[in-house]
Amino acid sequence: MQLHFTTRHDDHRIALLAALAISIHIIESAFPSPLPGIKPGLANVITLFCFIRYGWQTALQVSLLRVLISSLLLGSFLSPTFLLSLSGALLSLASLIIVQWPFRQHLQYQPTAVGYALIASVSHICGQFLVAWYFFIPHPGLFKLLPVFITFAVLLGLLSGIITQLLIKTNTARA
Amino acid sequence: MKPDQQTLSSTFRLRLNSADLVILVLTIVLLFWVYNRLWFNQSSGKADYLVVQIDTQAPLQYPLNQNRLLELDGRRGKSIIEISQGKARFIHSSCRNQFCVFHGWLSTPGDTTACLPNRISIAVKSNSGNGTEPFDALAGEH
Repeated sequence: MQLHFTTRHDDHRIALLAALAISIHIIESAFPSPLPGIKPGLANVITLFCFIRYGWQTALQVSLLRVLISSLLLGSFLSPTFLLSLSGALLSLASLIIVQWPFRQHLQYQPTAVGYALIASVSHICGQFLVAWYFFIPHPGLFKLLPVFITFAVLLGLLSGIITQLLIKTNTARA
Repeated sequence: MKPDQQTLSSTFRLRLNSADLVILVLTIVLLFWVYNRLWFNQSSGKADYLVVQIDTQAPLQYPLNQNRLLELDGRRGKSIIEISQGKARFIHSSCRNQFCVFHGWLSTPGDTTACLPNRISIAVKSNSGNGTEPFDALAGEH
């Protein structure tokens, strides 16, 4: 029996971008973090790039592939880390879609990568935080940490937004 | 298309439009709100009673609305706990580091401190159930 897969150009692009995002995610997880839960989140640059250049469907596929495959490679599949990663990725993408929705007729007025990156990083940490609080540490003292997390989310979100804007600019200049 | 591709990243200029600025302002407002709400607002919820755990004995409960001094015998000696105006603290303990004393007043439901050498831990709780969830997803039923 022979299986035939016909792949389209879109599939190749998603595979390439997901491979990039997975590599960044894994390299990043090798660095120690000052506080558990805080990391640069540079893999999100790829998700943002997909979202802005190719739309939310591509971004969803790339970020789900990234979460799934990097958890398999890091050995955290179905562990708390995986659940936190998945919930953060899904909530940040959902809020990107919600923010873009009012601009769907007028995409020229939509936020640039910096605005989207801020939304994505803040909602990512909020999603992770709610899952962590609801499932793993249901103690009200956990909320004392939320301001610290959101501060870092804003700073690192700005950083990844600037990187994404640079990436989009170089990418469109070359194309 | 620019001719000097190599210098594109060095001449990169950040572009922000009005939607970005709105998002930035909203995020900073959220940040201030979160700090104000979670760090500088101590009046969220009053604790009603104190739970004292000495070594492996059954926990003891004391209401926080009666001012009193508790003298407890731990493994190494006496620990003195003061209850005053809805708050509780260690004022003396027979241990070297005195972490429990330096922790200060416990007033918000869920606040906990302990003198580990003396095997005494105290926590303040409220009757409304805030701060009393004992388990998490790893330890058992939520």
